[in-house]
Amino acid sequence: MNDASTNRPESLWAIAWQQLRRKQIAMICLAILVAYAGIWLYAEGNFWSAKLRGVTPNYRISNYAIRNQPPSATHWLGTNYAGRDNVSQIVQGTRIAFEIALLTSCIVIPIGFALGALAGFFGRKIDTGIVYLYSVVGSVPGILLITAISYVVRGAVERSPAMQTVTRYADSGLLAVCIGMGFTGWVGLCRLIRAEYLKHRERQYVLAARAIGVRPAAIMFRHIAPNVAHLIIINFSLSFPGLILTEAVLSYLGVGIANEPSWGAIINDAKQRLWLGNWWELAGATAAMFFLVLALNLFGDALRDALDPKLRTAEAKTA
Amino acid sequence: MIAYILRRIISVAPIALGVLLVTFLLFRVIGGNPAYRIAGKNATPAKIAQISHARGYDLPYFLNFEKFPQQLFHAQFPRLARNILRGDFGESLTSKMRVSQLLRDGVLPSLCVTTPLFFIELILAVALALLAAYYRDTWIDRSLVVLAVMAMSISSLVYIMVAQYWLASEWRLFPVWGFEGPQYLILPVLIGTVAGTGGTLRFYRTVMLDEMYQDYVRTARAKGVSPAKILFSHVLRNALIPILTNVIVALPFLYTGSLLLESFFGIPGLGRLLVSAISNGDEDVIFAETFIGAVLFVLANTLTDIAYTWADPRIRIK
Amino acid sequence: MAATFAGASASGAQLRDNTLYSVGADFKGFDPADSGDTVSAAMISRVYEGLLEYAYLDHPYRAEPRLAEALPEVSADGLTYTFHLKKGVHFSDDLCFPSGKGREVTAEDFVYSFTRILNPKLESTGDWIFINHVAGAKEWVQAGNLTVKIPGFVAVDRYTLQIKIRQPYPQLIWVLTMPYAFVVPHEAIEYYGREFRRHPVGTGPYVLKDWRFNYRVEFVKNPTFSGQTYPATGELDDRAAGLLEDAGKPLPLLDRIVDYEISEFYTVWQMFLGGQLASTGISKDYFEKVINPQFELSDALQKRGVRLYKTPNMDLWYIAFNMKDPTIGDSTDPAVAAKHRKLRQAFASAIDVPTYCTVIHNNRDTPANTILPPGVAGYTTKPYAYQFDRQRAKKLIAEAGYPNGKDATGHPLRLTMISAGAGSTDARQQAEFFAEQLRAIGVDLVVQQLSFAEYLRREHDGEAQIVYAGWIIDYPDGQNFMQLLYGPNKAPGVNFCNYQNPEFDRLYEKVLTMQDCPERSALYAQMSDIAIADCPWALMTYSLSYGLFQPWFQNYKPHAFPYPNAKFYKVKPH
Repeated sequence: MNDASTNRPESLWAIAWQQLRRKQIAMICLAILVAYAGIWLYAEGNFWSAKLRGVTPNYRISNYAIRNQPPSATHWLGTNYAGRDNVSQIVQGTRIAFEIALLTSCIVIPIGFALGALAGFFGRKIDTGIVYLYSVVGSVPGILLITAISYVVRGAVERSPAMQTVTRYADSGLLAVCIGMGFTGWVGLCRLIRAEYLKHRERQYVLAARAIGVRPAAIMFRHIAPNVAHLIIINFSLSFPGLILTEAVLSYLGVGIANEPSWGAIINDAKQRLWLGNWWELAGATAAMFFLVLALNLFGDALRDALDPKLRTAEAKTA
Repeated sequence: MIAYILRRIISVAPIALGVLLVTFLLFRVIGGNPAYRIAGKNATPAKIAQISHARGYDLPYFLNFEKFPQQLFHAQFPRLARNILRGDFGESLTSKMRVSQLLRDGVLPSLCVTTPLFFIELILAVALALLAAYYRDTWIDRSLVVLAVMAMSISSLVYIMVAQYWLASEWRLFPVWGFEGPQYLILPVLIGTVAGTGGTLRFYRTVMLDEMYQDYVRTARAKGVSPAKILFSHVLRNALIPILTNVIVALPFLYTGSLLLESFFGIPGLGRLLVSAISNGDEDVIFAETFIGAVLFVLANTLTDIAYTWADPRIRIK
Repeated sequence: MAATFAGASASGAQLRDNTLYSVGADFKGFDPADSGDTVSAAMISRVYEGLLEYAYLDHPYRAEPRLAEALPEVSADGLTYTFHLKKGVHFSDDLCFPSGKGREVTAEDFVYSFTRILNPKLESTGDWIFINHVAGAKEWVQAGNLTVKIPGFVAVDRYTLQIKIRQPYPQLIWVLTMPYAFVVPHEAIEYYGREFRRHPVGTGPYVLKDWRFNYRVEFVKNPTFSGQTYPATGELDDRAAGLLEDAGKPLPLLDRIVDYEISEFYTVWQMFLGGQLASTGISKDYFEKVINPQFELSDALQKRGVRLYKTPNMDLWYIAFNMKDPTIGDSTDPAVAAKHRKLRQAFASAIDVPTYCTVIHNNRDTPANTILPPGVAGYTTKPYAYQFDRQRAKKLIAEAGYPNGKDATGHPLRLTMISAGAGSTDARQQAEFFAEQLRAIGVDLVVQQLSFAEYLRREHDGEAQIVYAGWIIDYPDGQNFMQLLYGPNKAPGVNFCNYQNPEFDRLYEKVLTMQDCPERSALYAQMSDIAIADCPWALMTYSLSYGLFQPWFQNYKPHAFPYPNAKFYKVKPH
């Protein structure tokens, strides 16, 4: 199976898909993920249609007269402190979760991949520099770094008009959290990519390309990259759950998302109401988070096994 | 070999300083002058200026070109670095206590929670992983995996909230909050174990299964060695390397303590200290904790690399 | 003692120890020089004392002598205050004294303690009580020579203290009740040095037994505490409420006090219900379960004998507009200034404060109508000129140049507000509420919740556009609020919104030296009107604290400055 021809990527995916199809659990999880994605798209539609029309979205309209009510026919999971329907809050939470994953990955993937490729391919000084960089970033406690970065981002939003236009459309808290998690999260991907590039650098096809005189940039991106693309997919699917869980802790510490109902915000708010006997808010948000994280983890595992079984213990070495 | 070890140990310093630099950038440079916080509610501009001067917050951040060349390094970051390397961690902004004192006070409570948690989780995870590997691909194995992943999929916040509410408050099985005696540790350790074992179990099981699929295992089976013997004397031993790596790298976190467990259950440890330091903008505490944490983390990584080289000379280390 | 908390009911143990268990978070230490926050002030007031203190049961608030024999003699020109100290008052026994026994307090000790607050090296948050008023204080600080004496503090003889001031200072009596003015022995500071914060040595009713940082503080009765007895008189209702039962008894009544540093309200609540704490506040979310719409306790709690108290905090919560901001602030061009003023007035009128009080704060707050809170001389019941009126808000904002809230580009006007309390549910809900109110008039308000440290910094460097702020009164005199709008106090001083109005400043300088009298109250009212018209602040609320108390916790009376009151409390066996 260790064929170095450039035709390989297509057949790798086809083979992987065949393997996945045979596993029942993987298919169930995939179905769950598709369902969540559907909910996400619906929630996005809701958000944007309200935004573009300039009205308050229906899930943000408060009605204090009916606050903190138990589940009923009209409100399946009851209402929250402002009288808003909890189901709609949780649905919007799905949207926030996906937005976090995508925005953070927009930072993690380019940085992690670029730096990993450069370090692995060129080696020596560039490699030492990049290894130093990720060792430093990796040694700072994540929560601390994310908190600090989100303060910075929020300060920047206030001062720069450009940022202000951006935050018309995206919540500044969301941006802050994503930038924070992005700048701490690239380390893992970078290490992985670097290890792969180190290996591939010595392979026949790369040595051949260099002998012919193909430029390094072309080798890195046109030849080697397709062979590591699957790693990026796996890394994404396995880090997605971590991002969601981290957001919940960030909300607890006060650096989460302020104006939109993320699952973390709902869970933290629901803490107070537990004593009142209102368990449904907490249960709903936890369940929503639970199934998505579970599906992502199980599917991610299956995907990794299908694409490259040798990756299973790649996390073992951390240096 | 010795040269390699020395090289790695020397590399700790630049990394720790790099960590200090990053924290400094974020909290002091971008976070701004702490004098406002110290001056209090009825501050006057004169007072703020005087505090800034006394503590050196009005110095340049990195290099003092005005005082070149004698006092080039009479600037904020060089002074901070020098103090920390000398072991002078400064004072807390809020309580004016020596940070080293605060750290010393907080280590024991943190360790009281994280150490039992660590060992219980380790033993439990290894045992269950062995079980899963032995009965691989049977319902036992599959259900263990699914249970592990399910345990990982619930936020620790929820575990803590629910446990504190039901077990401590409603059913009165455990104390709600505090650090008066060993019984106060039971609930935090219990929650921590339930929340954390899932991930560890999943990883250890994977490591062991990888070993089990190796050729030498097949040979041993073919030769008639009993499955149990294979598991314990061959697979476990070889799987120990990645497991040990995982264990050693987790050690620094014993020191930093568990933020959430400490906050909710009132354990006066280093995690809780860091959380209040962040919200109070108590920089000296933040600098000290991150620096020490980074040093320990890098040392742990170095240790594992050395262990790898020693255990398997075939591994090429860059 | 550990057994007290192991799950089951704690009442058995509390029968035996005459102890009060309570909560105080973020305690900073026992240095009176750094007693700016309420928790530290309370802790310090258990161990230390000063010349004067508030009479516990009296209303309106009145200062009475504590370590002084009587209220001070004031010279004819009002510039010299003479205090005669009580004889035989001793510091508590401590290792810092050569014989281990506490030494007698003298006038020199007060001179030392007051001078210490002004010492710039100490960075005390309390220097403002003396620095601009006491003769020679400012010069002493600037000269930096700490060995010379300050002319304004004189120990005439062993038991006679004189304070000389530069101009009449009506608030001097009040500031002398604050912990900043408490007396400390120089031996303790010399002996403990930096550790002085952890080793208090005072004259107060309690001494520190044990302090585990960030966790708990324990006090025990001071065996050498000098004669103070429970007051024999109070207000009309006090006798009926049982507050005079212990009249004449020697203080303190409690043997021990333990404070836990719990910051999670959720946890505090559970412990209160379990009988492990004597009292608790009430968080917003629990309010409706605990207090019925008639503002009485719910049946479940009433049956247990739990009592409800309301304390007016004598504070004001408001939204401050940065007067230097180009969009909403003041301007040298009168036409622009007028427009911006209308914008601020529109903002103030847009917020439905009554609903805010009822819904977001469960009626724990009342809408504010003047700069001064109720209970302070100068407070009037005049309605707020810009109270909630959405129609007026829409009209004003159109006149300000933003028809329907839209600016020149056709987008809703974008305004940014900062508030403290990141991470708290209340803050988040409050932020959403404000945004909603402003959206109703077409304005896009973004509220950023910051950590307290970050908030303080942004508030003071004068860069934030709009700030949600509050000010809790330091002493019962309106000047404490008016200083927040006095021009020269601009950022980074307390007038962080940079309000400048020459007429207001002139009146402020006039009232600064007036004692309490009807003329002064009238001037306060006038100043309030000026400030409200200019609208540098949109007034929000006055807050009340609600507290629940166990039936066995007695002698409690709400007070706006309750710091030393623990000595009056009693715990009945139960």
